[in-house]
Amino acid sequence: MKWSLPALAALLLFYPFILTGPFYWDIGVAFLLAAISASAWNIVGGYAGQVSVGHSMFFGVGAYTPLLFYHLWGLPPVAGVPAGMLVSLALAVAIGMPTFRLQGHYFSMATIAVAELIRIFVGTWDLVGAAIGLQGPAVGRAWWDLTFRSELPYYYIFLAVLAVVLYTTFEVERSRFGYYLRAIKAGERAARSLGVPVRATKLKALMLSAVFTSVAGSLYSIKTGFIDPESGFGILVSVQMVIVAALGGAATLFGPLIGALLLVPLQTATNTWFGGGGSGLTYILYGGIIVLLARFEPGGMHEWWQHVAPRLMRRSHAA
Amino acid sequence: MLLSAQNISKAFGSFLAVRGADLAVAEGEIIGLIGPNGAGKSTFFNCLAGDTVPTTGRVLFDGIDVTRASAEAHARAGIGRTFQVPATFEDMTVLENVMVGAFLRHHHRGAARETALRIVEMTGLTRQSAQRARSLGTPGRKRLEIARVLATGPRLMLLDEALAGLTPTELQQAIALVRRIHELGITLVIVEHIMEVIMTLAQRVLVFNQGHVIAHGKPREVVANEAVIEAYLGRGHRRRRREAS
Ligand SMILES: Nc1ncnc2c1ncn2[C@@H]1O[C@H](COP(=O)(O)OP(=O)(O)OP(=O)(O)O)[C@@H](O)[C@H]1O
Ligand SMILES: [Mg+2]
Repeated sequence: MKWSLPALAALLLFYPFILTGPFYWDIGVAFLLAAISASAWNIVGGYAGQVSVGHSMFFGVGAYTPLLFYHLWGLPPVAGVPAGMLVSLALAVAIGMPTFRLQGHYFSMATIAVAELIRIFVGTWDLVGAAIGLQGPAVGRAWWDLTFRSELPYYYIFLAVLAVVLYTTFEVERSRFGYYLRAIKAGERAARSLGVPVRATKLKALMLSAVFTSVAGSLYSIKTGFIDPESGFGILVSVQMVIVAALGGAATLFGPLIGALLLVPLQTATNTWFGGGGSGLTYILYGGIIVLLARFEPGGMHEWWQHVAPRLMRRSHAA
Repeated sequence: MLLSAQNISKAFGSFLAVRGADLAVAEGEIIGLIGPNGAGKSTFFNCLAGDTVPTTGRVLFDGIDVTRASAEAHARAGIGRTFQVPATFEDMTVLENVMVGAFLRHHHRGAARETALRIVEMTGLTRQSAQRARSLGTPGRKRLEIARVLATGPRLMLLDEALAGLTPTELQQAIALVRRIHELGITLVIVEHIMEVIMTLAQRVLVFNQGHVIAHGKPREVVANEAVIEAYLGRGHRRRRREAS
């Protein structure tokens, strides 16, 4: 297992040279974005067990702000990234304070409701382009507009962000904060009896998660140069984060990565086979995965591997 | 007085689970709390630990009113409690469970781990320390609950039937463990149905029935008390007890 981390890092670093061409690079970028978003979600949804199904609210804020900065003031989109993070932070506090009084499914439903309200509201708000959405600079004015013709620069920018998110998660896992998150997930009442400040800890997790999710949204809109209510605040954005994390293994460091590794190619394949475009297909795919996970392996592929790996090892030793 | 609870009542709807109970605990004491099922012992503990706010009355800990303080604040002040139905963190290892407690007084992982290791050893859980809590049986989980609370560095521990369901050998070990905890200078209030535990450990016993204290005194006096036997223990009580546990 000692070589697995360097191997993974090398694989991600050299992937664009192993599988070359825009098609594979596009999948690579989509994979990284899914991994970043799901890792961000994982902090509050996985470790703390507060299953938000409304994380698109942070993704959308992060996606809109850069293009809004360009649209309103002609600033380079990147300039809007910190503002998006700040708004997401404020939103996290505003959402977390009342909803963390709710338990389990009620919290999930509350987050869906808030995200949907924001989506509907943004769709009617002229300042942010209403239903049409916003566009970034069609042609880059300089390098700082980050409009590259090739996917390659985006791949490495996204990879750097993923590294930051994973490293932060790694540090969280080892810290008091991380232990408290897992204790809260396992039992709030018992956690409280041991002096864990439950609501403050949950709120901190949501804030951290929101900031990273916001950055994911910013990366998305800067790269595509376009955002509308559905691709920013749509329910599929939230559901994808939940599914990617759950598929790979929520509350584990590399679970979201594994989930993205499985889901993104699958999604690309189904889209090319069945002509793509139809988001109805995405719903069916997601629904199918949820049913399979709930039925066979609620712990995701990470848990499944933990069962399977020792058996494989034994067999290979015996042979 | 380390802990002083005055006129505590707790209502669930129109039903009073605790009605006007008093308890005063001096530093260094071991107090036993007994009473039949449904007498309100656990509910009373919940009021003392900040798990629920009593309907009437007040709780003073070390002279400070903590009646309305949160459970977290109680833990920080030095009141630790175990749960009658073990509430261990099932997916975390034994050591990690104890570390959660240790983090209350230690911010850094290394220090918390050191304290936790020491307590895991003291409570006899070293062999299982890398196992997930879910793999322990009920006796192991109860021991883990004690270890976890101990790691928070409490001045007062409230044990709610922490010694129930043990084999005779395990029971002797558990009694020895409670003695060691007491020797550390920790004050204890223990709810227990097993009379052997009460008789050997408690310096004073309170008898709970229908939400209030019907008798108190030295263990021998209480069990010999005719009124207690008649009014509370009743005939066939011991047999029912044994069947229940
Ligand atoms: N949350 C609650 N809502 C309603 N009634 C409750 C609640 N908790 C406890 N009760 C009731 O209050 C009474 C006292 O319960 P409690 O658990 O405090 O008794 P106990 O003395 O600990 O009993 P045991 O020896 O069985 O543990 C019982 O009749 C119980 O049904
Ligand atoms: Mg009880």
